[in-house]
Amino acid sequence: MTEGTGGGTAIAGLGMTELGRVYGRSPRRLAADAVRLAAADAGLALGDLDGLLVSHGMGGSPGIELADTLGLRDLRLLSQLNSFGATAGAMVSYAAQSILSGAASTVACVFADAPLKPERSAGSAYHRDAPEWYGFGGMTAALGFRSVNAFYALAARRHMERYGTTGDQLGAIAVATRAWAAGNPRAQMREPITLDDHRASRWVAEPLRLLDCCLVSNGAVAIIVTGADRARDLARPPVHVWGWGQGHPGHRKERGSDFGLTTGALTSGPIAMKMAGVTPGDISQCQLYDCYTYTVLVSLEDYGFCAKGEGGAFAASGALGPGGALPTNTGGGQLSSYYMWGMTPLSEAVIQARGDGGERQAGRNDVILVSGNGGILDHHSTLILSPHPKGA
Amino acid sequence: MEIGVLRRDGRTDPFFDGTARDRLVIRRCAACDRWFAPDQAGCPECGAGELEWAEAAGTATLVTWTVTHGRPAADGTAPPPAFLALVELTEGPWLHARLDGIDPAALREGLPLRARFRHPGAGESYVLFGPEG
Repeated sequence: MTEGTGGGTAIAGLGMTELGRVYGRSPRRLAADAVRLAAADAGLALGDLDGLLVSHGMGGSPGIELADTLGLRDLRLLSQLNSFGATAGAMVSYAAQSILSGAASTVACVFADAPLKPERSAGSAYHRDAPEWYGFGGMTAALGFRSVNAFYALAARRHMERYGTTGDQLGAIAVATRAWAAGNPRAQMREPITLDDHRASRWVAEPLRLLDCCLVSNGAVAIIVTGADRARDLARPPVHVWGWGQGHPGHRKERGSDFGLTTGALTSGPIAMKMAGVTPGDISQCQLYDCYTYTVLVSLEDYGFCAKGEGGAFAASGALGPGGALPTNTGGGQLSSYYMWGMTPLSEAVIQARGDGGERQAGRNDVILVSGNGGILDHHSTLILSPHPKGA
Repeated sequence: MEIGVLRRDGRTDPFFDGTARDRLVIRRCAACDRWFAPDQAGCPECGAGELEWAEAAGTATLVTWTVTHGRPAADGTAPPPAFLALVELTEGPWLHARLDGIDPAALREGLPLRARFRHPGAGESYVLFGPEG
């Protein structure tokens, strides 16, 4: 470690644009706005940044030209990263490693996307259609795999068949997440729902109903990572980065594959928790990547909060919602609040670690686990964050 | 959901030559005697960059499935659902597939399936999977 980073690294700034049906701004413009907001939040000038990591969404933008848009000069770190929904966690880990090594001191990490179009349904943003189809990928789409929903439905069905997981157990996650969203002014969906509402919501791809699927949002979220010693002198309470990990299982599509049964959290979770010096029993709350209710369930198992196959019963026990033993997705997650890929769980973790959750603030926030999930369970990232310095 | 019109792209010729003759042609590594899905680019076992094309038996079992439902129109009508699946070929590879002629109540992991070839008026022939027998 270089001088000045003996206390590790911390998230010092959070910037969020308006999220949801936000039109008229390109992903690059949204990203620039989020970085400005994050810098202002931290009490920094843009010129204090010496690193920028960029994550794009469906549209492939923004890229590293964002540095020029922001007028950043003499950067020591500038890259576009992509491991899909695992990117936010990966960006924090690359930023932290750059700071610990002395390669950079203050790094902004930003995600932006604008897949929603006026007058078009949210579902159409992630739906493929074409008059004719080419190649093997085109063949799969031609046969009916026109959106990600069908692939996750295959995963969820496999878990159900193997472990007896039920639709109502998935519904319990939707209900708990919406209960948290009711307390989040930024949430796109705040009206409480019941298990009956879940049962009545239309099928998207069985066993997934509409209320099992995440929202689609336009917007951008940025955070700023710096040395913990420096973060202490900035405007907001530091959110310390205790640990990180990635897991890319490379599930083969052949006999013996665990597809649908496990995720990369099996790898990334123990790495991040070991680095942080914690075990699942030490985690105060979880911010999990919930592109579908099912991903929450399977991630809880893989992180060791319950045994493999018992994620459904664990979710249905009430543990995840307000007042539960393991508050999870306290901002309403991607299911009910906003879909900024891995920045959804990460942004809520920063808010909770600062105690800024308002009426949704969870009781304990000492150790927060943040997950990212990308592809069809192909990529996973884990962060362990805390309001307290590591080892203090 | 209607099945779309399929066109060749230069990589798919042996596969579509096969479906035109009611044959399921996939990839195989001669060195390892391992079979792969038709879109596999190289052998992850031995690192061979070239895989041969070889005829699979056309028999499979069901791994997992979904029924996709299109968004209903303003008048409440919805496109017909599609039964989609991961199937495990007898040779081992998994294929993303569309099921045909199945009884929804009979769907279960391990259900025996067989390739069924379709020759549409427009575009290439393709393969669906239906119940064995």
